[in-house]
Amino acid sequence: MNKQEMKRAVIYPVSTVFFIMVLSIYMYSFSKTLNNDNLHQALAFFFGTTYFLAVALGTPVIYSFACLGGASLKLRILAISITPFAWATKECIKIFESHSLLECLYWYLNPLNIWLIMLMALEAGLADLYCRRLKKNRGENIRVANLSSLLTVFISLSLFIAAYSWGKGENIYVIFLKGYRFLFGSGL
Amino acid sequence: MTTKTNRLLLDSLSRRDALKMMGALSVAGLGELAFPEVATALGGKSKQRPNIIFILGDNHNANLIGCAGHPFIKTPGMDRLAREGVIFEKTFNTTSLCSPSRASILTGAYAHRHGVRNNHTPWTGQMTTFLEHLSNNGYDTAFIGKWHMPGKGLPDMPFLDLFVSYTYREGQGSYFNCPMIVNGEEMPSRREYITEEVTDWAIEFMETKRTERNGKDSPFCIYLSHRPGHPPCEAPKDLRGMYDNVKLDLPKEIDSWWFGKMNQNVFQGIMMGSYEDQYRKYCEVITAMDRDIEHLLDKVDESGLGDNTIVVYLGDNGMQWGTHGRHGIREPYEESARLPFIVRAPGLIQDPGSRREQMALNIDMAPTLLDLAGIPVPTEMDGKSLLPILKDIGVEGRKAFLMEFWKYYPENTPSYMGVRTETHKYIEFEKGREPWLFDLINDPRELNNLFGTADGEKLLPILKRILQEQSANASVFSNS
Repeated sequence: MNKQEMKRAVIYPVSTVFFIMVLSIYMYSFSKTLNNDNLHQALAFFFGTTYFLAVALGTPVIYSFACLGGASLKLRILAISITPFAWATKECIKIFESHSLLECLYWYLNPLNIWLIMLMALEAGLADLYCRRLKKNRGENIRVANLSSLLTVFISLSLFIAAYSWGKGENIYVIFLKGYRFLFGSGL
Repeated sequence: MTTKTNRLLLDSLSRRDALKMMGALSVAGLGELAFPEVATALGGKSKQRPNIIFILGDNHNANLIGCAGHPFIKTPGMDRLAREGVIFEKTFNTTSLCSPSRASILTGAYAHRHGVRNNHTPWTGQMTTFLEHLSNNGYDTAFIGKWHMPGKGLPDMPFLDLFVSYTYREGQGSYFNCPMIVNGEEMPSRREYITEEVTDWAIEFMETKRTERNGKDSPFCIYLSHRPGHPPCEAPKDLRGMYDNVKLDLPKEIDSWWFGKMNQNVFQGIMMGSYEDQYRKYCEVITAMDRDIEHLLDKVDESGLGDNTIVVYLGDNGMQWGTHGRHGIREPYEESARLPFIVRAPGLIQDPGSRREQMALNIDMAPTLLDLAGIPVPTEMDGKSLLPILKDIGVEGRKAFLMEFWKYYPENTPSYMGVRTETHKYIEFEKGREPWLFDLINDPRELNNLFGTADGEKLLPILKRILQEQSANASVFSNS
């Protein structure tokens, strides 16, 4: 991949999604300072939504650009991880106000992050199938129903649903807390 | 015989042996002289000791009771308790987190003494609970409902005549079909909804004891610990939607949709739907619990025990619903520290329906209940008996108390300790925040931190001195 291709395939899409996330965080916080409640509610809803979309649904957009732009699988995975990882890191840094560095690192394993990874895998699998369809339509000799893509979709979707269905997520959270106590005791 | 020798001897006797001995001594006319408290316990005096029903709510914001002035919530059971008893308007927990508060209620001690400092610190039983003190003095005792203190399963409490609880989901249980553990045996819930399940056990115990007592002085104490309003809130089907059309008055600083999903609030069980939906569900479960409280009160009165049964309702924590842009129970704001507290004690309270302004604490429960039962309050308890205040509205209350909190992962509140007086609050944080100083009279919503201001500088030496006195050198800070 040359520089130009890299920019089009990876850097621009990743930067755009990342920028949307950062802007959304700032505007969501800013909306709370407004005296006009209707404006506050409207801005909070809008930018809360774009915040969510950037973190949780940026994957298919970035993956598709990267895939169609010729990026390798490793590069695609790296590209889709940047914004969610940045968000997870921001959340980790927040709890550094109260907890140690190691405890903050353990925070990366919290159920929300686990679901996000499953969601990203699902979206990437679906995006991969979509890109394959587009490439085939362009005349490329490529199989659309690729086994690894299908397996990725199936496994990630199953895990995503199962993890939530099992006690509406509470049971996963209990496991997370048990893990914390195993490693850190009471944390005091 | 000294009281201590008394207690040692009594501890070594089974209840049956004690009864036999007292019987013999009574014949010899020596009972009251040798064992004054046991004489009382075994009916040596004509007046029977009161039964006690202690009801504990979970994360119950003190304003969410009808008689506390809430604009729409329906709580006829608690309203009735307040009408027939007294409601305390300034009751607080000393550590604003479930397990430490529950341990404080049971032991009458601050968390730095009983050792359950956060929800990860196990209960070791290093301090005796008031239930055990009551049991040692002739009470039949039952613990029914949510235990929720860390450790390996449920604690070993052989002095209890009935122990009904659950360990499902780390002791949080579930609102529907919660698997129960009854005297160590696992069994399915007999009733679908958790408040009905635990109330049924309480009523059964009460009615069994009523039948057994048969005129004897054989009082009971039931500790009934409910799950509402812990999230995620699920009301019984017939109460769902009952508050759908009411106008809510949630703080303007929160937004309807995303607030409950941001800033780790998702782990407070409020992720689904709007924040208003979650608040309505919270109100619904409080009403569900209240319905069973009222049912229990009806049964108490129907069974003829009403005149000799003290009923107490307390919450373990308050709850912030968006005030100061926060949700939950950990912050040292009034909304999370202030508790609902109502006492009905026929014959003892001379002015039923009145309100008490004196400050009361969760650590006062154990000494109060022991005092009500005529049992000396152990010196290791930090709390004070509220009996004088219950009897007489004019009795002076405490002037200040210690607030302490140890960080609890994964929640984002640093360890803190501070003091609340009748007029001010001063909090020092271990890291990450400057101290808080609020004038609670002129700034009851705690919006203006006076720390670092000219007014604050004048108040600081006094408040620091009070903190020093209250903490008696105990500290939550890890480098102390």
